[in-house]
Amino acid sequence: MRRLSEDMKRAAVIFISATIIFSALAYVAVTPRPKEQFFQIYVLGETRMAERYYPDDNPNIPVGRLVQWYLGTTNFMGSVQYLVIKVKLGNSTIKAPDDINYIPSPAPVLLEFRKVLMDNETWEFPFAWIIGEISEEGDMTYATVLVIDVKNGVEVQAGRVSALNGHNFRIIFELWTFDPVTEELMFGWRAGGEQRTVWLQVWFNATKPQTS
Amino acid sequence: MAMLGGLASLCATRDAGSHTSALSGSSQAIERADAEFKRALMAVREAEAAGADRERIAVLVSRLNFVLGGIDEAEHLLLQGNITDADSIAQQAIDDSKGIALEAIELYDEASLETYYEKIFTFGMAPVASLLVTVGAHYGWKFWRRYEVDRVMRMEIKKVKEPEEEE
Repeated sequence: MRRLSEDMKRAAVIFISATIIFSALAYVAVTPRPKEQFFQIYVLGETRMAERYYPDDNPNIPVGRLVQWYLGTTNFMGSVQYLVIKVKLGNSTIKAPDDINYIPSPAPVLLEFRKVLMDNETWEFPFAWIIGEISEEGDMTYATVLVIDVKNGVEVQAGRVSALNGHNFRIIFELWTFDPVTEELMFGWRAGGEQRTVWLQVWFNATKPQTS
Repeated sequence: MAMLGGLASLCATRDAGSHTSALSGSSQAIERADAEFKRALMAVREAEAAGADRERIAVLVSRLNFVLGGIDEAEHLLLQGNITDADSIAQQAIDDSKGIALEAIELYDEASLETYYEKIFTFGMAPVASLLVTVGAHYGWKFWRRYEVDRVMRMEIKKVKEPEEEE
C-alpha cells in the first residue's frame, strides 16, 4: 500500500478534528438547553401593586365591603401547562398547605380558576370578594365570604368558616397543575424529578357593619 | 372561569327520581368533556415538544381555554338545574376537544418530520463544513509555505559594519 503523503496526513487530521468539533456544535444547536422550571404566583392589592390589600388599609373588613385584589401567575416551565388556582377560606387553626410533604390545606375550596398557559405567559385577573354575612355563637364568629365574578357581575356563593372573635380569617391560594404522568391535577408541579409547591395567603378580620 | 368547588355535594342533594338520573347523565357528559379536554391538552403538549411552531400552538391553547370556559359554563348550568343546556355545552366541549386533538396530532407529525429534517441537515453540515475547512487549511498551508520559501530565496547577504571599521 502506498504511503500517504505528508499533505494527505495533515488534511486527514484537520478533517477529522473539524468533523468532531462541528458535530459537537450541531449537537448543542439541536439540543434544547435545560432551564429551571417553575411557576410564579402573586396577589396584588386594589391599585394592582403589592399594597392596599384592604379597604383603607384596615384588615378589619366590615360585612358588605368590597375587597378588590388581582391574582396572577406566570408559567416558566418551558412548555404548555394546565393550571388551577384553588381559593380556600380558612382560619388560624386550620392547617396551611404543607410544603415538605406536598399536602394541600384541608380548608374548604371557595372556587377554582382554571387556565391553559403557554410558556412564559402571565395570566392576571381581578378577584373581588365581600363578607356576605357574619353570625356569632359565643366567642366564635362565623363569616360567609362571597366571591364576586367581576366579569359577569355574579355573586358566587362560597364557604362559611368560623374564627375566634372574628379574628384571623385567611384566604389561601394554592397552585395546582396537570400532571402528565398520572393525568390528574396535583398540588404544585413536578420538575427535574422532584415535586414543588407554591401557595399564598392573606389574613383578615371580619367585623360587623358600622352603624351610624 | 370560576367553578364552584362543592359541585359533587350539591348534586347529591338534588331531588330523587328522573331528575337525578338526568342530572347524573349531564354530569357524565361534563366528566367526558373533562377527559376529552385532558386528551387534547396532552396532544398539544406533545406537538409542542416535537418542535411545533409557537404561533400555531398558541392558537390551539386559546381553543383549549375556550373549551375550559365551556366546561365551566356547563357546570354552572348544571348547578342551576338547566340540564339540557349543560348537556349541550358539554357535548360541544367534547367535539371541540376532539377537533383540537386531531389538529394537534397533525401538527405533531408535521413538526416531527420538520425537526427530523432539520437534525439531518444540521448534522449533515458538519462533514461539509469540515471539508471546506480542510481544503482551506490545505491551500492556506501551501500558500504560506510558498511565500516563506520565496522570502527565504530572495534574501540577500548584507555586511554588518564592525564599530572598529567605522572609525
